[in-house]
Amino acid sequence: MVSRSCLIRWKTRHLGSSIHPAVSFSRSLFASSQVYQTSWVQAVSNAEKVVGFPTSFLSLRSVANDEISNIAVYLKKLIGTGHPLITTAKNLVYSNDKTHQTRGLLVLLMSKAAKRESGQDILPEQRTLAEITELVHTAHLIHTGVINLNTPNANLEMGNKMAVLCGDFFLAHSCVQLATLQNLKVVELIAQAISDYSTAEFIDIIASENDSALDRWSQQMTLRYGSLIAHACQSTLILGNNVELIESGKSFGLEIALAWQANIEIQSFKSNANRADHVLSKLFPETPFVDVVANFQAVRDRHVNAALKILTAFPQNDASLALGNIARALKY
Amino acid sequence: MVVSARITNFLAYSSLTVSRVSHLGNGSLRYQWLLSRNTSLLQLRSKIQTAVPSITSNVSVPKENIPTADALVRPDLEGLYEDIREGLTNTQPELRQIAQYYFNGEGKAIRPVITMCMARAINYHLDQNAPGVIQKQKKIAQIAEMIHTASLVHDDVIDVADSRRSRPSVNILWGQKKSIIAGDFILAMASGMLARLQNQQVIILLSQVLADLVQGEFMQLGARENKDERFAHYSEKTFKKTASLIAYSCQAVSVLSGADSTLQSIAFQYGRQLGMAFQLVDDLLDFIATSAQVGKPVAADLRLGLATAPVLFAAQKFSELNPLIMRRFQEPGDAETAFRLVLRSDGLQRTKELARQYCNDAVTQVAQLTPSPYQQALVTLAHQLLHRMK
Repeated sequence: MVSRSCLIRWKTRHLGSSIHPAVSFSRSLFASSQVYQTSWVQAVSNAEKVVGFPTSFLSLRSVANDEISNIAVYLKKLIGTGHPLITTAKNLVYSNDKTHQTRGLLVLLMSKAAKRESGQDILPEQRTLAEITELVHTAHLIHTGVINLNTPNANLEMGNKMAVLCGDFFLAHSCVQLATLQNLKVVELIAQAISDYSTAEFIDIIASENDSALDRWSQQMTLRYGSLIAHACQSTLILGNNVELIESGKSFGLEIALAWQANIEIQSFKSNANRADHVLSKLFPETPFVDVVANFQAVRDRHVNAALKILTAFPQNDASLALGNIARALKY
Repeated sequence: MVVSARITNFLAYSSLTVSRVSHLGNGSLRYQWLLSRNTSLLQLRSKIQTAVPSITSNVSVPKENIPTADALVRPDLEGLYEDIREGLTNTQPELRQIAQYYFNGEGKAIRPVITMCMARAINYHLDQNAPGVIQKQKKIAQIAEMIHTASLVHDDVIDVADSRRSRPSVNILWGQKKSIIAGDFILAMASGMLARLQNQQVIILLSQVLADLVQGEFMQLGARENKDERFAHYSEKTFKKTASLIAYSCQAVSVLSGADSTLQSIAFQYGRQLGMAFQLVDDLLDFIATSAQVGKPVAADLRLGLATAPVLFAAQKFSELNPLIMRRFQEPGDAETAFRLVLRSDGLQRTKELARQYCNDAVTQVAQLTPSPYQQALVTLAHQLLHRMK
């Protein structure tokens, strides 16, 4: 069995409009809770056995393809520039470990969970969709990692350049792959997801007349992460012709995305020294640490429970069980 | 039949004029005509052939006042930019602003013009009159312009540009990060529109453009060690960065019209040859234009480290250019040296010859279509392109 690395990649979200270039901004944090880490890793690892690893060309070392090895060259250049995206680039180039491709895994699990007969296997198109989901997400990570440079800085400019081009490459490759699926609705859904995550960058989490700060957080996260996972789940069910489960798949995708992101915020809040700047402090201002954590855990658990409830619509099999385990693992 | 040649004597002109002919109204188009009083340049120009090449015999002689392509398809493209902006409104205010910024109608809109002209010419050829078809073809024109613009937004960030079309570029106004995201947004909206056209093949064609655009950009970053490979590399890069979008858009509208693979190939090849010529002319003008303007002694491409056709041709005469090309003109004086050597060589002349060859090929392609004002306009487009080199 492949050994699991202890480093799990988290995304930390900074709400400031620009990131100071001097700050080397790592996107990885160790999980604060050992219990969470174990149960999440366990759930994901078991799930992979059910569906096989998400097929992905992202373990770049192993691929001889000319285009892809060029990308590896450019990502390595990114690593050399001191750009904040170093960690992301490193994970793409040097990691043979597939635990970071959770979105692809969710798509594969959803594909299998919907199969009513035990003999049915995941379709090649569904595997391609899983890969596309990972590609789009990677493009998103890379493009949102581009930094604002007000003063000329050759290294960081080169870093930005690499980031833009590599992100563009992943997006373009996704579009070409999408076209091969021969399904117009799926193309539309994934295009919508890209448009949604772009829009999310322009939403702020400030309470307004109609929306509380928490509402705004939900809206932003729905657009930023929920849309891709939800639409990917929806798409895979379309490809699998599981018409009656399409809406459930979409809703499940959304709930699991929100639960997952809520959990990320909680874990990073717990382990972060500088809590004042953290998004949870902004969502629950002037609240003691313990209460903030409890409040947000309640939010997270609501989403987990909603996801579990939706899962009951799916046939009972290894895959739907694995999905349930992953959802429950978020509760720690 | 031979088209009448127009030979202009630049020595007679004594004033520097840059005039833009602007068509008013939405979706306005601009043409730049450049005249020069720089003597060495005049001597060069008088050596450059200004005759328009002859065309194959089954195309009728264009009359003096034949409508230009953009005039012909202007009704089709009426509101092109409004429609694009409309498609981008449904989002957060700031994103809307950034996304719509380059769609203010100031661009040349050359891609929509070529696309719609080809669409009409093919429709005429196939006697295709269904209203749904032309509607979808207009969408292709919009999508092509959106893809092109999204790539401009990303290019401005990559090239650290500060202005475009005489206005501050997006990255200056909103920063690099938001600009990149806005580019993605435009692309996503274009993809959604593409999906709603309900045609699998068209999606395949235009998604290939996206892959080509990125690959072209990557190709531009790399330099070929072997100088014999350089021109092939430059040609391939030019196809991917410029001609691909035009070629596949032309093919896409032909697909929507119901064209078979032979006809699709004609459309594709026209777009491809014209696109290649378009870029060659741009690369040529980058030298001629800047030498005519005081205070801007070197071509923009050289400053970006790019060795375009004029330089590559010049290097065949002056091998001292090769090390400069390899180091992308980074050392002080490199760009100036290269510029001088290009002007001394036959680089510009050979670039022009090559552009003319591509234009001829393009014309040969559309000569196979049933004669119509639109088919004629496609021919005229090729001529106009060559005329820009004057």
